[in-house]
Amino acid sequence: MTGSKTAAKHAGISAGVLTVIALAIPYSPAQAQTVEAAPNFDRPAQPSLNFYGSPGIIDLPSAEHLPEGQFTTTYSWFGGTSRYNLTFQALPWLSTSFRYNGIQNLNLFGFDTYYDRGFDVRVRLWQEGQYRPAVTVGLQDFAGTGIYAGEYIAATKNFDVPGLGGSTGNLKVTAGLGWGRLGSNGAIGSIGTRGSFDGGDTGGELSVDQWFRGDFAPFAGLEWELDDRWGVKAEYSTDAYELETQQSDVFERKSSLNFGVEYQKSPQLRLGAYYLYGSEIGVNAQIQLNPRHPPQQLRIPAPLPVVPRSQWATEPEHWTTDWTASESKRTQIRDLLAEALKADGLVLEAVTLKGNVAEVRYRNNRYRSFTLTIGRVARAMARTLPPSVETFQIVPVRRGLGLSTTVIRRSDLEALEFAPDATDALVAVTGFQNAGPLPETADFSDELYPAFATSVSPYTAPAYFDPDQPFRLDLGVDFSASYAPAPGWRVAGTIRQRVWGNVADGRASNSVLPRVRTDQVEYAQFDTTLENLYVSRNWKPGSDLYARATFGLLESNFGGISGEVLWKPVNSRLALGVEANYVKQRDFDQRFSFRDYSVATGHASAYYEAGNGFLAQVDVGRYLAGDIGATFSLDKTFNNGWSFGGFFTLTDVSAEDFGEGSFDKGIRFRIPLDWLLAKPSRNAFGLTIRPTQRDGGQRLSVPGRLYGQIREGHRKSLLDQKARIWE
Amino acid sequence: MTRLTHVMAALLALATLTACAKGPERSPLEVELITTIREQIALRRAPKQERPPLTRALLDTIESPYIEVTLEANDVFAYLQPQLVLEDDTPGELVNWVTEDQVSVALRDGILVATRGLRGDLLSSSTLAQPGGLQGPEGQGPRSFDLRLGDHESKTLELACSVTDLGPEALEIVEITYATRHLQETCESESGRVVNDFWVDSRSGRVWQSRQWAGPLNGYIRIRQLTL
Repeated sequence: MTGSKTAAKHAGISAGVLTVIALAIPYSPAQAQTVEAAPNFDRPAQPSLNFYGSPGIIDLPSAEHLPEGQFTTTYSWFGGTSRYNLTFQALPWLSTSFRYNGIQNLNLFGFDTYYDRGFDVRVRLWQEGQYRPAVTVGLQDFAGTGIYAGEYIAATKNFDVPGLGGSTGNLKVTAGLGWGRLGSNGAIGSIGTRGSFDGGDTGGELSVDQWFRGDFAPFAGLEWELDDRWGVKAEYSTDAYELETQQSDVFERKSSLNFGVEYQKSPQLRLGAYYLYGSEIGVNAQIQLNPRHPPQQLRIPAPLPVVPRSQWATEPEHWTTDWTASESKRTQIRDLLAEALKADGLVLEAVTLKGNVAEVRYRNNRYRSFTLTIGRVARAMARTLPPSVETFQIVPVRRGLGLSTTVIRRSDLEALEFAPDATDALVAVTGFQNAGPLPETADFSDELYPAFATSVSPYTAPAYFDPDQPFRLDLGVDFSASYAPAPGWRVAGTIRQRVWGNVADGRASNSVLPRVRTDQVEYAQFDTTLENLYVSRNWKPGSDLYARATFGLLESNFGGISGEVLWKPVNSRLALGVEANYVKQRDFDQRFSFRDYSVATGHASAYYEAGNGFLAQVDVGRYLAGDIGATFSLDKTFNNGWSFGGFFTLTDVSAEDFGEGSFDKGIRFRIPLDWLLAKPSRNAFGLTIRPTQRDGGQRLSVPGRLYGQIREGHRKSLLDQKARIWE
Repeated sequence: MTRLTHVMAALLALATLTACAKGPERSPLEVELITTIREQIALRRAPKQERPPLTRALLDTIESPYIEVTLEANDVFAYLQPQLVLEDDTPGELVNWVTEDQVSVALRDGILVATRGLRGDLLSSSTLAQPGGLQGPEGQGPRSFDLRLGDHESKTLELACSVTDLGPEALEIVEITYATRHLQETCESESGRVVNDFWVDSRSGRVWQSRQWAGPLNGYIRIRQLTL
């Protein structure tokens, strides 16, 4: 290799890209112009949000949509009304929102402060053209009790106008028709009759019979963007706030006109202050994130380039395969390889060396992208293996399971690294296939099996939507340990010490079903608990088949035995699985004893990777409360680990027995740590939000379910991230 | 009761400070988060290094080749030395240069074809380098840039380029003046225009200095050959 690293320590010149020194570089106007003119792929323009967390004016919607994949969270408050909103732009023309709202001093339906949850959906009919406006149809709070139920059709058009201080501004004009809440003031007509809001209902059913029924009223609004940061808004509201101002006395509605001013603090954060309904001051904080545009770009150290063998294996004797016979030579190679992988944060599991072929099994605890790690492993192999090895077989391993085999020819690596289309050229000659059984001649790493791992880590355990206190939290410390005696085997446990919390003060269960999930408060009465303690084994019973068996205290509420088999060919978008469990409910103190309730529960599952990152899953089977039914879920996933999705479960439990919400449903999202911190990591913040936690349609929470672990290492995921193979 | 709460709070604070993970398994989220925060604090507290000004006398004491690379947008710079010199199937001699902290740029006859370890790296690129010796870019033709952008994806930018000779220029690099020709490569695409400048030795054809575009996130970078 030309030039060694140590040579850099010469004579006071040391390198370091991170050291910032202001050099007086002459910066000519012509060069400044080239910077302006260069291609740019910045964040797309994003509309501002309204008090319901959707693109809009103040309390009313517009026809605009967010950039695809945008994930927003807003908090708005005025006149005792607060709303937390989460909005996700699942498709360029479709967005969904979840809302948790509180109305102070409503004093209706038996609550002082009335809390409720709701879902919205918005569909764009067509985009803005040169003359025609964009048009969107929306359903607000379309299922459940429907305190904010309203439908609308809105049109929005942008106009170029002068801005502030000579900058170019933009004027957005919105007009629309509203039904329900949005048609309660200044109605100009009516379609059929609309059922009325019932605050004591269990909710959960689609209010199809109410949509676009009853009075409708025209609304309008303006947004004037003064420059990149400041905007002013005005609107005529068709929401009469009958419930709040006529049936109760939450605030006084003196006018239908609302005004506001907003400031874009950063690309992610926008703040607004408003004067609403002629009597109230309001505020709105809008946070917009886009999975495709991290706040900071990840920077990872450059890999070592592949040095062609022609540069260093110049004698014929370098190319013999005699070394395969020598065990000491093989051990030496294995250790060199393990060192090379360690430099990239990867762990060597085993290496199988034949004369011309080498298979490397490795563990990736650092990088999100398996494609990136395959590239790094290939480079490490090219650096350390004898010249006679021409075929590289690279197998990522997770909990003892080989996920797939990527086959790369060493001469391709040598020839293509700096080729004009390096990525496509290499991927075109790379094969992806099933990971076979571990060869008998494999040399295992010294450092694994048996392997011990421990961690001490703070934890938080939230509880939501208690009508008395919407958010409760426990926090404390988890002490975890695991022991892996052999590939695929694992003994693991976690002791949980609560330090502070108020989940224990929550609402007692009123469920008529076996209380498989609603006894959360009972379980929260104890400070020191054994969160889990289990033995598990993963193995591959056949080609394309993966299996798991787990025995012990599986989760905080249940212990028993669990088995799973998954069929997932490396090149298939479809996977099928079955899982069977026999579990007993654990005592509230979460030590080694059990309660009287036991159940056989299990599911047959189908998973499908559709286009655009959509992941669909159907599970049919028997749930923890003994109810039988099916769960349908859909998630939009990103290569970088972001995901956002929803699910619902229908079982043979009646809506009445189920209780509030009528059936189990929820939304879930995951924000990867590496995306937030711009530092390699495989962890993510995940959250599943159910409007109400009941006992129907509940699944066991077994550690180490197979599908999520397998999918990332298969062909579709690897190819979706092919750009990272040389990184 | 309050005393107990204080003890508990102290315990939690202690746990936060001592959060750790050992062994060949993935670290828990909270541990990684706390580690990163600790690193950030350490980084901010670290004293800034002062550097001596470059003189030819200093450069003359160095035996190996060095280039200086500056990210124009924020004046961040580094000295790089060759890690690999390669003759592959594509015209032009390729040199991969690297900093001490693992940032690399690959130059083919002085033309930037790849970066690694920056943000939104240039994954690969074709050039207008010609076979038959160092000359910088020549003539006209298409170039493509494959850029790391978006969701673990890349974006390929197709450009139509042409090179004009702006004539002879005397170029000074740390007390030595070279007789060069100033070549300007202008590349057009639907999404914008790229203008790369090269100062090429009038006799040997070596690129002594250049200013080249390295993608939308890194902007233009300046490269000078300090030592050979």
